[in-house]
Amino acid sequence: MYGRKASRLVKELTNVEKGQLTLFNSDLFDQVIAECSQHYVELQSLIRKMQEKGLDVQTSKNEDHYGALIHHLALVRNKRCLMAYLYNRAETLRNLIWKVGLVLPQEVQEKLSHSEEEYFKRHSASLKSYMSRLDLDLVVDMVPPKDPYIQVRVVDNIGEGIVLSDDKTANFAPYSMHFLKRTDAEPFISRGLMEELTG
Amino acid sequence: MANYYDLDDIIAEEEIVSVVFQKEVNGVGIDPSSETDCVKPGSKVELPFWLANELHLRQVGTMKVPACFNQKTRLELGADATCVDLRSRSPYFYEFGCKIAPLVGDRDLGSFLLSAFKNRYQEVLAKGHSAAFSAASKCSTLLTREETTMYEAAQSSMKAFKKWRMGGPRFQRASILGRKRKPAD
Repeated sequence: MYGRKASRLVKELTNVEKGQLTLFNSDLFDQVIAECSQHYVELQSLIRKMQEKGLDVQTSKNEDHYGALIHHLALVRNKRCLMAYLYNRAETLRNLIWKVGLVLPQEVQEKLSHSEEEYFKRHSASLKSYMSRLDLDLVVDMVPPKDPYIQVRVVDNIGEGIVLSDDKTANFAPYSMHFLKRTDAEPFISRGLMEELTG
Repeated sequence: MANYYDLDDIIAEEEIVSVVFQKEVNGVGIDPSSETDCVKPGSKVELPFWLANELHLRQVGTMKVPACFNQKTRLELGADATCVDLRSRSPYFYEFGCKIAPLVGDRDLGSFLLSAFKNRYQEVLAKGHSAAFSAASKCSTLLTREETTMYEAAQSSMKAFKKWRMGGPRFQRASILGRKRKPAD
């Protein structure tokens, strides 16, 4: 049936939880585009057939006209599915900035297509330039903290020689505990490398 | 018209309707029973709604009321709305019904959908707020997509309430990164 593949593509998005990304299905995506080309070829041949019969393509409604109509509708439908697939992924991608920061972790990056990577890079670059003009970091937590410092525990290997905002370096050995500035700790927590200690 | 990019709207339009063709159509492979690539007038073909709708509007074919809105479903919903498995009938029962109601000339369909939704709404919301996660899986298999969204909203608001009452860390690992890996030794 026409449009079946395109709807499978869209279903892939509805089946995952909101805000999650799946691997870009370029295989199915290309298949849908191939289906579109096929529709276009058939549509053209039907129109040509009408012209050969000497009929006015605009007004005459014979069986070829309705055939061409169905191909046209299938094209429009496939286009909508493809656009929705890209659009919704791009939206998820834009929202990621607020959750994981301006640089994507490796495991997310693997799921993107090449143009999506490029899109994210440019989007975060323009956001960065906006923030530098405002002189305000918009990526930090929205709720004002009660205490500018926070107690954290390192849960993963971070690497050494990380310079904090007060120009000191700290040794973030796994399972060590630190008392850090909230803004320094936030990106590490959202990437899952540290966890906040409470109580 | 719904948002062009709305995923649920797109999937809802993929539901199958049977269409009786009034006109002859040439050069399309949509009728599996036909050996040539043309459709004769009077033949009955199962088509997705997005195609059936346009053909119906142009009087190329006429739509039938789909099986998921048949008399049996209506009687079951009238008897005890909350126990009926609507998901197996159509995961987009309401959206699909709303789209099809003005087209098929069935006057009762609209009010039937409304009463079905109203009768189920209360139960879904009450369960969403009270049921524990283990008990939830049984009744949530009966729900349509719309109702599942509502159910999950109720559950997440309960979770947020509990978290607010008990307190807890404000920052958390971003959900995109999936579940926490076991730390490597």
